[in-house]
Amino acid sequence: MALPEDPEDLSPGTAAERTRLAWERTAIAFGAVGLAMLREEPVAGALVLAATPLIWALGRYVSSAAPPEQRSRRLLLVTVAVTGVAVVAVVAAFVGHGLTRFR
Amino acid sequence: MVREDFRRPGGGATSSQHGHPDGEPGAPGPAAVPGAEEEPDARFTLANERTFLAWNRTALALVVAGLGIVQLLPPFPGVPWGRHALGVPLIVLGAAVSVTAYWEWRRTQTALRRSAPIPQSVLPRILVLTITGVAALSAVVLLVSAVR
Repeated sequence: MALPEDPEDLSPGTAAERTRLAWERTAIAFGAVGLAMLREEPVAGALVLAATPLIWALGRYVSSAAPPEQRSRRLLLVTVAVTGVAVVAVVAAFVGHGLTRFR
Repeated sequence: MVREDFRRPGGGATSSQHGHPDGEPGAPGPAAVPGAEEEPDARFTLANERTFLAWNRTALALVVAGLGIVQLLPPFPGVPWGRHALGVPLIVLGAAVSVTAYWEWRRTQTALRRSAPIPQSVLPRILVLTITGVAALSAVVLLVSAVR
């Protein structure tokens, strides 16, 4: 039997599994950023850590059968969360611990 | 392992109908009607989603790198603004990468639905330009710090 060029044609389920793993890696990345921030900025770090289970839950319930609008909303939520982390980081850099060293 | 039905009701699209693996993913398949939209093969949708997530992890890494520079590096002697000048652009780049990744995800998804060619990503260019700029600025800050 000739093998297909794309291994996913042999086992299409791996695409969904790899996507779920990618969501989990993203949630772990959120957790790592939150832990890193916790040391210098406890409030900001706690906020970012709080987003970790949310990202994990978003990925956990992602399915290829989800309607496109729902999928788009989930990804928009991730974008909002990452942008929020960036805003918190800029504020922490200027107003938080960073400002005392800046002076 | 979770198995999912990758075919869409009404569409019945498979990877080969969208030109893959015989051609590039997203290339028009033999049955594609120009301008017509249909939900693409779920494998393409999932691959697009993984790319979006990978860019967002890159964005988070940029944010944490910028914050690390501002908060963890010792001050540059004679250059009090040095750490902020290096760290804040990386944080802003992180936000920009995340927003652009979402925009590109939408653009790619639309192209897949229309069986049109996948648009080229602008993110690598943004990343290269900003990181090169920050690297050059780092060299300037270090030189100024060494001179003072």
